[in-house]
Amino acid sequence: MAIGQNLGSPEGSATTGDTTRSAGLGHRPVPAGRAPRRRRPGGSHALPALAFLAPLLVFYATYFVYAIGFLGKASRQRIGLSFVNAVDVGWENFRLVVTDPNFQRALVNSLGYALFHIAVALTLGFLLAMMLSTGVRFRKTFYIVFLVPALIPMALFATVFGQMLETRDGAINGLLRNVGLGALTQDWLGATVPAYTAVAILLVYAIGLPIMYYTAGASAMDLSVIESAVLDGARTGQIFRLILFPLLKNVHKTVILSMLLGAFRGFDIIYFSTNSQPGGRTGIVGTYIYSSTVGVDKVGFAAAASVIVLLVALVISIIQLIVTRRSGSTYV
Amino acid sequence: MRRNLTRGRRLMIAALVAAVLAVVTACSDSGGVGGLENAEQDTSGGPVTLQYWTWFPPEATVKELIAAYEKANPDITIELHQYAAGDYRQSAQLALNSGEDIDIVGVQVAAMTKDVRETVRPVKEWAENLPDDWESQLREEPLDQARAAAEDGELYELPMGSMGSVVMYYNAALLDELGIDPPTTAEELTAASKKIRAAKPSITPAVFIGEPYWQLEMLWTIIGQTNPMLSDRVSSEGVDWTDPEIVQGLADYKAMFANGAFDTSTLSLKAPRPVELFGSGKAAFLFDGSWRAALLSADYRKQNKIAVKDVGALPFPIVRDGGKPAVRTGAEGGLAIPKASTHVKEAADFIAWMTMGEGADLWGEQLLLEPAKKSFVLPDGVLASPAAKAGYQAIQDVLQTPSSNRAPAGGADFNNVGGNGVLDVLNDYKSPKDAAAALQTEWTSGRYPHPGDDD
Repeated sequence: MAIGQNLGSPEGSATTGDTTRSAGLGHRPVPAGRAPRRRRPGGSHALPALAFLAPLLVFYATYFVYAIGFLGKASRQRIGLSFVNAVDVGWENFRLVVTDPNFQRALVNSLGYALFHIAVALTLGFLLAMMLSTGVRFRKTFYIVFLVPALIPMALFATVFGQMLETRDGAINGLLRNVGLGALTQDWLGATVPAYTAVAILLVYAIGLPIMYYTAGASAMDLSVIESAVLDGARTGQIFRLILFPLLKNVHKTVILSMLLGAFRGFDIIYFSTNSQPGGRTGIVGTYIYSSTVGVDKVGFAAAASVIVLLVALVISIIQLIVTRRSGSTYV
Repeated sequence: MRRNLTRGRRLMIAALVAAVLAVVTACSDSGGVGGLENAEQDTSGGPVTLQYWTWFPPEATVKELIAAYEKANPDITIELHQYAAGDYRQSAQLALNSGEDIDIVGVQVAAMTKDVRETVRPVKEWAENLPDDWESQLREEPLDQARAAAEDGELYELPMGSMGSVVMYYNAALLDELGIDPPTTAEELTAASKKIRAAKPSITPAVFIGEPYWQLEMLWTIIGQTNPMLSDRVSSEGVDWTDPEIVQGLADYKAMFANGAFDTSTLSLKAPRPVELFGSGKAAFLFDGSWRAALLSADYRKQNKIAVKDVGALPFPIVRDGGKPAVRTGAEGGLAIPKASTHVKEAADFIAWMTMGEGADLWGEQLLLEPAKKSFVLPDGVLASPAAKAGYQAIQDVLQTPSSNRAPAGGADFNNVGGNGVLDVLNDYKSPKDAAAALQTEWTSGRYPHPGDDD
């Protein structure tokens, strides 16, 4: 079985500049010597464009700008879920959040989990996607195994996994005991390293989304490059490392941004598995905000935390945009 | 293509900037929402339909109660809006705040009273529709706790009853089989746990919820045995968390793990796993609240397919010499009338029926709460075995002499963080003294509103 055997349709070279202008995956190549047709900005297309955009803009204004504005307003108030008797507290909520060691730890955890998830996605996710794209036997079965976690609510898996982590009656320790590895049983939620390990296992399990990205990227890849490499005697490792990985650099960027921002939304994974234990050490910003809102009623405080997280996410997004712009790359 | 993408990025950046501006603009303005006005009453006569929002008791029980009330009051129809306990607070508060047509609203006394007081009518506004001697028909303690929960001394709801924690349920059949007397002290619990481990390795001696909030319940119950009301004094009198009695309490709780009364594996259990383990016979002792007293009933166990043949109950075992049985109590099942109600008279009649009338007798025998109704007597036949009867009496006795209020000492705001501090001691991350110091720092950080703070 040759690498590249089933890696999508040949649609022009991605690297040979003499035949194409665009190397972006998913974009139609443009023959050399023929400049892309430019459209005049605005003009007669502006009105139809606006008409098509209007529903989305209304939706955006209603559910995004208004919601964020409401969040910003609440963040400077002492206010509960009843939203009555709001007291203006200025920037006090922000000061309390920023100086809270639990918030600082949650923010570091969120970024740490994101980096780990990115590392797993760029290595394991990439390798699995490429191997599955080669037409390996039972590939459909493997796809189901790896993609199902990405298609089913993570809360469901995390809840089951959380019960599996029980020290005495949990399935993980039970399995270890049954196979004679009782010495490896852990107090998964009572000690820091096992708890972080448990989170890492869940993050690895959620590898389906990067696999989907890489599979999509691979399907748009130019097969002739792989074929040339094979004819030139490149080994499998070289093809992976020197050809496939660089060719999919734009997919890597998508994966990185997706994993990074996903870490700020990964509430369900932590809440339903470790519930931030031990002692709040595995918590993330999502669980921090949740614990400040539901059943606690510090809506203003939670809003301030949300605004801070939003700003952090925006900074990350802007940095990513700048980096992408400098590299002149496109999205998948 | 390049140009279009650049324009796309500009649009994205513009959107992000717009979002930031929205935050900044919104941050520059603030204000509040005022309370609602009392709605005018429906005086048209004829049949009345009451809208009843609640999370408690369980839906099947509430439906039985409504059926009984409607049978006795043919002109009244009650539409039930039942919510899961976890969702109820937010749903009810938002509905009340928006002036939704609700005539009777269940209030989680400790958690909700202060926040709903702007949207419900004080009891004094509808007391004329209650029996003249209504206040003497109800126990003082839950009424006082409901007033305290409002923080302005006003009574906004009538509590159906009260509940307490922590109490110990035990598998009476198992203890009989192993020749173990129900333990009343920590030493006896330690001996019983060791005997159970030796005789029945597959059974966990003692289980309870391992989540943070429950650790504070365990801690305050232990401290309450020798220092009643200390948690209340931390809340209202400025007693520090570094108080030697609290440090000692942390050490005592930790010692129960070191001695073998408890196992740290229990700390990995989330609700409702401890009840499942106890109910399936996989645990000998369950440390939970008085709201689990239905486990004493053979009928309840049969209906819920609980395998344990006989269950008894006792207060939390005495940990230190000289200690007395302790429990933290709180009023629960508050019933209030929203300002938006147009049927105050009929709603008040239903609330009276539920709190001091026949309704209280009907739900009271299900052992969900200790009814606030003074004249309530558990009917003969509800509990069959001597262990169950003695257990019910033991719970009643300890509830009559509470060691502290379940509500204060940071309330829900502090439960998770404070409980994590206790877990740090149990998991050997901190000494009791260091953990107490960290709790004091957190308690005074300004992140947790204390009673008396401005709203």
